[in-house]
Order: sequence, then C-alpha cells, then structure tokens
Amino acid sequence: MTAARPFLAALAQRGLQALIVAVIVGIVSFAMMQALPGDAAYRIAAGRYGYDMMDAAAAEAVRLELGLDRHWSVQLFAWLGALAQFDLGRSLVYGSPVVDEIAVQLGYSLLLAAGAVITSLLIAVPVGVAAGMKPGGVVDRVTLALSVFVRAIPAFALGVVLVLAFAVQLKLFPVAGFRGPEHLVLPSLTLGLGLAAVSNRVVRDAVVDAMAAEWQLFARTKGLSARFTVLRHVLRNASLPVVTYVGVQMAYLIEGVVIVETVFAWPGIGHALVHAIFARDIAMVQGTALTLGLIYVALNLAIDLACRGIDPRTRSA
Amino acid sequence: MTDFTQIDAMPPARRSWPRIRPARGLGFTLLALLALCAVAGPDLVGQDPAKQSLLEARQPPSADNLLGTDHLGRDMAARLLSGAQLSLSLAVLSVLTAGLPGTLLGIVAAWYGGWTDRVLTSFADAVLALPGLLLVLMLAAISPGSWWALYAGISLTLWVEYFRYTRQRARIVMAEPAVEASRLLGLTPGLIIRRHLVPEIGPGLLTIAAFGAATAVTAVAALGFVSVGVRPPTAEWGVMMTELLPYWREAPFLILQPVACLVITVLALHLSVGGMRRP
Amino acid sequence: MTLSDAPSIAVDALSVFFGATRLLGPVSFRVAAGETLVIMGETGAGKSLTAQAILGTLPKELRAEGKVTINGRQVDTLSPTDRSALWGRDIATLPQEPWLALDPLMQAGRQVAEAHRYVAGLPPEGARNACVRDFETLGLVGAERRLPGALSGGMAQRVAFAAATAGRAPILLADEPTKGLDAERHARVVGLLTQVPKDGGALLVITHEAAVARALGGNIIVLRDGRVIEQGQTDQILAKPQEPYTQDLLAADPQAWPRSGTAPDGAVVLTAEGLAVTRGDRVLIEGFDLSLRAGERVAVTGPSGVGKTTLLDTLAGLIAPARGNVQRAKSLGRHAVQKLYQDPPAAFPPHVPLEQSLRDVARLHGVTWDRVTEYLIALNLLPDLLERRPDAVSGGELQRISVARALTVGPVVLLADEPTSRLDPITQRQTLELLAGITEAKGISIVLVTHHAAIAENWAHQSIELKSAT
Repeated sequence: MTAARPFLAALAQRGLQALIVAVIVGIVSFAMMQALPGDAAYRIAAGRYGYDMMDAAAAEAVRLELGLDRHWSVQLFAWLGALAQFDLGRSLVYGSPVVDEIAVQLGYSLLLAAGAVITSLLIAVPVGVAAGMKPGGVVDRVTLALSVFVRAIPAFALGVVLVLAFAVQLKLFPVAGFRGPEHLVLPSLTLGLGLAAVSNRVVRDAVVDAMAAEWQLFARTKGLSARFTVLRHVLRNASLPVVTYVGVQMAYLIEGVVIVETVFAWPGIGHALVHAIFARDIAMVQGTALTLGLIYVALNLAIDLACRGIDPRTRSA
Repeated sequence: MTDFTQIDAMPPARRSWPRIRPARGLGFTLLALLALCAVAGPDLVGQDPAKQSLLEARQPPSADNLLGTDHLGRDMAARLLSGAQLSLSLAVLSVLTAGLPGTLLGIVAAWYGGWTDRVLTSFADAVLALPGLLLVLMLAAISPGSWWALYAGISLTLWVEYFRYTRQRARIVMAEPAVEASRLLGLTPGLIIRRHLVPEIGPGLLTIAAFGAATAVTAVAALGFVSVGVRPPTAEWGVMMTELLPYWREAPFLILQPVACLVITVLALHLSVGGMRRP
Repeated sequence: MTLSDAPSIAVDALSVFFGATRLLGPVSFRVAAGETLVIMGETGAGKSLTAQAILGTLPKELRAEGKVTINGRQVDTLSPTDRSALWGRDIATLPQEPWLALDPLMQAGRQVAEAHRYVAGLPPEGARNACVRDFETLGLVGAERRLPGALSGGMAQRVAFAAATAGRAPILLADEPTKGLDAERHARVVGLLTQVPKDGGALLVITHEAAVARALGGNIIVLRDGRVIEQGQTDQILAKPQEPYTQDLLAADPQAWPRSGTAPDGAVVLTAEGLAVTRGDRVLIEGFDLSLRAGERVAVTGPSGVGKTTLLDTLAGLIAPARGNVQRAKSLGRHAVQKLYQDPPAAFPPHVPLEQSLRDVARLHGVTWDRVTEYLIALNLLPDLLERRPDAVSGGELQRISVARALTVGPVVLLADEPTSRLDPITQRQTLELLAGITEAKGISIVLVTHHAAIAENWAHQSIELKSAT
C-alpha cells in the first residue's frame, strides 16, 4: 500500500533511485572495463573517437587526461564524472555515439513494453474479475491452475514455444524482427502472458476482498443496487492493489524486455544490451543498462502517481 | 461456560484461495525426482555428456541414447542431467547464501532499529533500484562465462527478499503486546525469537526460498540462452536451447527437451509451496 | 413508502440451521410503528443471525426457516434480488463497525448524498442539500469532505446513521450500535435511536448491554445459545427477571455489582508524581499523581484517546515519562510489575501451545509446575486447556490464563489495560471477581484502566478520572 506522503517526497525518492541506478551501472561498467584484457587507453580512445579516428597519440592523450596510470579509485571517480555529464561515449563496435543508437532503440522497447502491459491487462482484468466474483467456483479453480502453469514457464521459454507453435507450425505471425505491427503480436503475447499469470490472481484477490468488505455490504443495505455498488465503490477500491501490483511487475517487465527482445530479435534496447555484453562493447552496455534502469524508475514513478490519483488518502495527508 | 460457541463469529464465505493440496504433493514428488537426477548426474544413463559423435547427430531416442542425440551427436539425456546438476546446485547454494544472511540481517534490523536499520535498509533499496535480472546480467558480464559470477550475482539480488520480509514481519511481531508481555515476564531475547518470531516467519521464508530457487534456475537458463551466462560446451539448459533452436524443423523434440526440464523444475518448486504466492 | 403505511416487522417461528444443526430459534416477534424491540444476549446467542435472517444476508452455508414479514409483505419467499430491493427503502440497517462500513476512498458527505440521490431518488441538488441538513442535525458540520479514515469512531457511527436512514426506511435495525464507544458517545447514539420510534418508525436493536436495553425501553427478547430465554416488556423483565440466566445477565451489569470494601492499609509499592503523558507534541495528561498501596485496586477512567494506555506503559516503565517520575519500592524485583492486555489472544505467542508459554515462564523464574497448576485451579481453569493454542480457547479463559502466567513470576503490581472490555458481561464479572479475590489474597496491587464508570466505581477501592489536557 502506498504510504501517505507528500508529492515532493515521492518525487525525491524516485530521484534518489535514479541516482543509485546511475552509480551502480557506472561502477559495474567500470569494473567490466577493468576486467578486460589489453590496454584500456586504446579502448577508451576508440570508444570516444571511433576506430578510424584513433591512433597511439589519441590513446596517450586519453591516458594522460583520465590518469589511467593512476590508482583505480581515481579512475573510477573520473569515469563516474563523465557519466554525470551525460557523456555516454561512442559504441566500440559501430563507432557512432551511444546516445544516437539508444534514441533509435528506445522507441521499439517502449512499444514492446506498452504492448506487453496492455496485453496483460486485457487478459488479467476480465479473468480476475470473473474468478473473484465467484471465489472457489469453476472459473476460479481453472484460472488458478492455468496461472500456476503459465507462471512456471520462463519468458524466453514461452517465447520459444509460441514461436514454434504460432510462427513455425501455424504460420500465423512472423518469427522475428520488426517490419510491421504483426511483428508485435508474439513478443507482446509472450511478455503479457507472463505478467497476466500473476496479475489475474491479484485482480481476483482484490475483487474478493472488496466484495467481502463490510463497506460493500453496507452500500447494498443502505439501498444501492448491486451493479451500482460495483461501479461506484468496488471497482475503485479493487483497482488500488492492482495498480500497486502492476508497479511491482515493472521489474519483471524490464527483465522480460531484455530476454524477449533477444528471442524475437526485436531491435530494442534490451537486445542491444545483450549484444553489447557479448561483443564487450562497454560504452553500449553502460548506455543501454542505464536507459533500462531509468525507464524502470520512470515506470515506478508513473505507478506512484497513478496510485495517488486513485487513493485520495495520499493527497489529503 | 458458553462463550466458546462462537456462532456470531462464524466467518462469511471462505475467502482463502481454493486449496491445491494434491498439487503440493505433486510438487514434492517432482522435486525429489529432480534432486535424485541432480545427485546422480550423467552416471544415471552411463553416457558422457561431452562426447561428440558427428555421425550420430540428431538421432531419435534409442536404447543407447534414451532421449536421442543433439546436433553434435552428444547424448541428450546425459546433457540434461548434467544441466540439472549445474542449475540445481547453483539454486541450492544461492538460496542458502542469500537466505541465511538475509534472514539474520532482517532480524537485526528489526531488533535494533535506528541507524543499523537505516543502513541495512538503504543497502537493500540500492540493490532493488535495478530490476534483479539486469543486475545479474551486468555482474555476470564482468567475468563472462564464469559460474562464480553468476552465483554471486544471483545471491546478491536474492538476499534482499529475505531481508525485507523478515524485517517487516519482525517489526510487526516485536510491536505486538505478546512480545511486550514476554519481555515483562523475563523471557530472554533468544527465547522471544524462538517462540514469537520463528513460527511467524518460517512458512513465509520457505515460500521465498522455493520461489527464489526457481528464480535462480530461470536466471541461469535465461543468461545461458542469450549467450552471456555459462558458455558452450557446458551442458546447461538455456545454452542447449540456443544450440538446438536452429534444428527445430528437423528435430522439434530436441529443443523441447530442455524447455520441458526447465518448466518442470520451476513448476515443482512453485507447487511445493502451494503453487501461487500471495504477492 | 410513507409512514402512513404503518411500518412493521413480523417474525414467525424464525430458525437458522447449519446443515441439520439448529443455531437459532424458533424466534417470533412483532414490532409495529412507534415500537421498539431489543434483542439481548451474549456472544454466540444468535443475535446477529436474527438480523441477517431478517435482511437475507446469511452466509451461504446457513439456511433460514420461518416467516418474515416486512411492512405487510412476506419476504422470506422472495428472490435475493427482490429482497435486496427492500434495503434502505423499507428497512435500514446500522452497521456494527461504522469505520469498516464506510467506503475508505470516498468522502463522508458523498456517501450520504449518494443514498439521498439514488435511494430516496432526490435530484442532485436536493440530495446535496439533504446531506448538508443531515450533517447539521447530527453535529457533523465540517466533516463532509473528510475520508472515513479521518473520522473518529463516534463521528463514523453518525455518518453511517445518516447514510443508512437517507432512504427514509421506516424500520431501523441496529446491530450492537454502541460497541466500543465511550460513555459520552454511547449516550449520543442511544439518543439517536430513541428518536426513531418517536418519529413513528419501528426500531429493532441488538445489544449485549442491559444499560442500552433499559434506555430504549419497549419490548425485549433475551437469547442464549440461539434459544429464547425470556420475552416481554423491557422494564418488567429488567426489573423482575424470571429466568436464572436473565438474572445472571442483569447481575453482570457493572451498575448492579456490590461495592468493594475499603482498601487494605498496606505499604506503598509504587508512586507517581507530577507525571505527564505525551503523544508526539501533544500533551495528553498533566500532573498525574498516584500512591499505590499493597493489595489496593485503583481504577483509571476517561474518554477514548485521553492517553490511558500510554499512562499505564509509563507506570510499567516501558516508556520514559515526559515529565515527573515513577518510583518503585526498593523491595520490588525486576519483574514485579506485570501487565494484563485488552485483547487476550494478542498477549500470547499465537503458534505456541499455552502450556509451552507457561512452562517457559515457570522455568525462567524457578517456579514448580505444581505451583502453576494451583494458580490455574484457583482461577477456575482446567489444566487440559493448556494443550491448546491461544486461538482455541475462549477470551475469558485466556484472560484468566494470562493472570495465572503473571502470577507465576510473583508480581507486586498488575497493570490491567481494559482486560475485560472484549468479554461478555457474565464472563467479565467472573473474571474481575476472580482477579480481585486472588490479588487480595496475595496482597498484589492493581491499576485497572477501564472506560466503564460503573466498574471503576464498584470494583476498585479508588477511582481516578482522567480529563483531556487540551
């Protein structure tokens, strides 16, 4: 449950989280750089200026400027300093600025994330409400069993199974890449099913709790009809835990984006991150991981705000 | 004495989730079988998971190769068993290394409060600032292909859950009149933890452990699948999926085997603690 | 429906079954316009079942038999939908827990206005005006825009009253309307209820308190274990109860208790001087003095929120006093001050058998188990009970077990925080009598916090009334 707290404090808390994300990503990227074999100065120079513009003199300039001969802690400080100035450097593989690469990929990732969340809500809300209206009934039991089963299938395995079933055997949807809206169907379904496997039970619980609440019965006994009580009282109260839980699922969503993009060769940030790790393109690793981390923070902030919108208690406090 | 017949206090309709007790039994049975497979390993089928034989590639199941052979002619059953060994041992280890300190630190934070609590909570929050798998992915990337990097990354992300759960429950329990009464009655801290806290958090910790083990198994496979985890030729389920994906048309039963192993393992872990976890 | 239709509720041989087990009945009564009926009984008597059977809100697994007529219309044969159409329009219900009965996310005023608008069918403007009038009449001006969480218990009860009666139903059904209210709020709710029959309505009230029945008058039904024990005019039955159970129930009303004797003249064991109690920045209690003698019973009373519990914790040494000091006699050991709690199940580790809890205490203090058994027997407890867990024994038994547990450490002072407010009247009387007896025999002093003026008056040697410092 969202604690009652002033708006600015909520904002400040997410700001701090964003800062922590940047520091962790910076430190881990730095560690990755240190762990690489070979001369760091050459790699950084290549990262900054591109391979064609780079020579021994440029590497030497970098060595002096960053003090690569100094203690690693000094270097780490310099590394984080560059990050603080939003200097993400250039891709070691493509030579283009990391920011340009990410600007292209970001749209694709957000599209996939939005598709996944919408798919999951389209599944979870009707299923959860149907199960919650009759707890212990047939719908409740069947959806519970299904949820347990689907939840046990990791996102990438689900992706593989869906590809085999829909794209390869039935030839209904394209297998990979992105050239049109039909390419969005399978990746969104893969992620959306995984999200819905849990969130439909949260919707179900929220509905059961709201329907069993004393205020629900009192709304009825004071004379409101069943339909009216649901529309005016139950939905709003039940939506609060659901929206809060969608916030909890954002971690699953970001993780899923990374893996599912790779399965479907989706041209987004997650795919780029995995590719960059494989290619040891550290500037890209840092840039993409940072962007994913910040998207995560932004999504959490959006959920905070949505909860405040639904729950007047947080505003009056 | 009639105040024991609580007719008025009878609960309205049952609100708990429909029970799936038989499912729990199924979960335990599957877990026991998996544990057996993992302990015995490839010896169970008497084949070498690494031995290649290109002439016998992608063979259907036979008496020699119970589950067929992969694209390099290696015995599938032996490789799957070897994968089970790797995944389950890592899961058990990371649950232990995450669970013990996580639980103990949770109790410490709740018991002492103040600065101890603030420092520990800030550390936990910092770990949670990034989605868990992203952190594991990056930590694993520092030392690519290393089993230890994977293990450290997974443990680091998993301990937070034990910590937060234990701390939160312990704070509630410590504030209850029952603990105040026990303190006034002269019970020692150790006895208070044993009588009040342990029975309260035990079942919850078990659930977290089962789900955490499932997360660990999934993470290893996911990273293997996207080629940033354990590297070939190690027999690991995620790596096997990547290797066998190109052959789905000729031999769909091959790619489905590691998928099935993974799903059965996660399902067994989830079912053993009741199937669905109340979020 | 207007008042001229002669509102009435008639119940004929009403019974409630769980499978083949009869939980309630047969009960028959009739309440006409301008009349009042009180249904009185303890927990488990079937009072709430009666209300639920009349309304048609019984849990699924229970089944009702018998005829229920509301405003001349037989309703027990109606479908659930048709039955619920009577709610708010023909019969209004006051909830037991007003806080839980209000939608936590909707402003108080809107919850009343929506009943005026959609149940009484007023136009939007008229509904808002009616709501404003309700809030004026009930002394709730300024609370319209507050959320239920920001209302006090008494205010929430009045908002619920306004919302329940907005549909102008001529019959009002109130289930334990005074539960958990302090003396002042108690009187206010009873005042609201007595107005209903005066305005030509029919009133049906369920309560366990004889005082509420006395104030409401009319007719009464005394229920026990689902059976009618006695039925008739309230004033006659309260004055001359025929059945032994009714006599016990009335004798259990603290106003009817005999007064305690004078305090024993023991040595002073605990003193408090100029004690101040604060919550946050707010000063709750100022200049509290106490000089407690061995074997003395002191009662502390006062309205809700005045800081009684915090005062007790300060005396126990659990909280440092904001100002002033608390001094224990030098002879007192570390565990000489013990507490009794309002909610007995919350005072025991819930997953541990009671015997284990008691053995832990006995072992730590070097007390033999025979000794503990003696205490249990002295408190009318069967040792078999101890095999159970705290949630499997009744509240009264558990409170006595907690007394036995406290006695095991050999206390000099017992601090009791509303130890019987969750118990039924007869159990409350038994518990407090046993407590007084055993502490007097052992020279143990008690400070009892209670919201019940009559208990303070009759049970304690000395009574201190706390008033709000603000």
